[in-house]
Amino acid sequence: MRVGLGWRRELGASILSHLDEIDVVEVLAEPLFAATPAEKRAFRFLAAHVPIVVHGTSLGLASTDGVERHRLESLARLMEWLEPEAWSEHLAFVRAGGIEIGHLAAPPRNEETLAALAENVDAARRTVGAAPLLENVATLIEPPCSTYSEGEWLDVVPRATGCELLLDLHNLHANAANFGFAIELPRAHVGMVHLAGGRVIGGDRILDDHLHAVPDVLYEMLGDLDDTTVIIERDGNYPPFEELLAEVRRARGGRTLCAPTGMGARGAHAVRPYR
Amino acid sequence: MRPSSVQHFLARLYTDAALRARFLARPYGEARAAGFDEERARELAKIDAEELALAAESFAKKRRAK
Repeated sequence: MRVGLGWRRELGASILSHLDEIDVVEVLAEPLFAATPAEKRAFRFLAAHVPIVVHGTSLGLASTDGVERHRLESLARLMEWLEPEAWSEHLAFVRAGGIEIGHLAAPPRNEETLAALAENVDAARRTVGAAPLLENVATLIEPPCSTYSEGEWLDVVPRATGCELLLDLHNLHANAANFGFAIELPRAHVGMVHLAGGRVIGGDRILDDHLHAVPDVLYEMLGDLDDTTVIIERDGNYPPFEELLAEVRRARGGRTLCAPTGMGARGAHAVRPYR
Repeated sequence: MRPSSVQHFLARLYTDAALRARFLARPYGEARAAGFDEERARELAKIDAEELALAAESFAKKRRAK
């Protein structure tokens, strides 16, 4: 496993001083669209010392309204000056009909969305010069008008777009727990993995808030995947950096440290208690 | 309705408390009033009220944080 962290300003100094233990760094795209010359120099310095991947949150690649061209052009400019090894975006829509939702919304999992997604990915590929990895999103609401299950969706999307998945194990785990389905890892399509933590809300629902430690069950799921690139995301409530490094080390060693999971032949995981 | 209207309707439901209240009181009727055919309106009417409230609250929190 190649394991790294998401770059956050609060973690920057600690990441820089522990690059011997961090294999890759993921930077958010949008804050760098208007990077100053000094910021560009700083991130180029970072990229000279560790592999960088870029992570977008605002394109809305699953939008049936299409992706706004100016956003793709901003991303293309960022890719040009930063020269990351890959970029990723979410299987989500973030606006529709001129309304900004404010965050990543899970789209209806159906043919209409799939066709729009394929068109949007093509446009992104043409403008940016490389195809994205596509990340599954967490949702608190079952997307209405869906004709695919989440497991089926994570199989048809890579086939329709030619993109690999950025498989967010916490998003998948949270959705499985919240909507009561067994997880089937889409092993054949995984190009990268996200790990994060969340919390229980309303008594029995998992909220993917990125403010807590990675739960044990995610390491077990990670142990069932082939070697890949893993990014641990933490967006606040930062613990001592040594705790994040411990998560990095645990993820890197996941395949040998994990106990057997009792998976079925198709890789199905039962949803377990959240811890 | 144009093909994009389901996502548009969802975006309105997530961000417009008054529409959300009308929809939760009369989901099928409100979906029909928004221009969806009977089949789509029936699908939209299956939206779980608690899930919708949680999602809307979560999106509102994100918008306020920006």
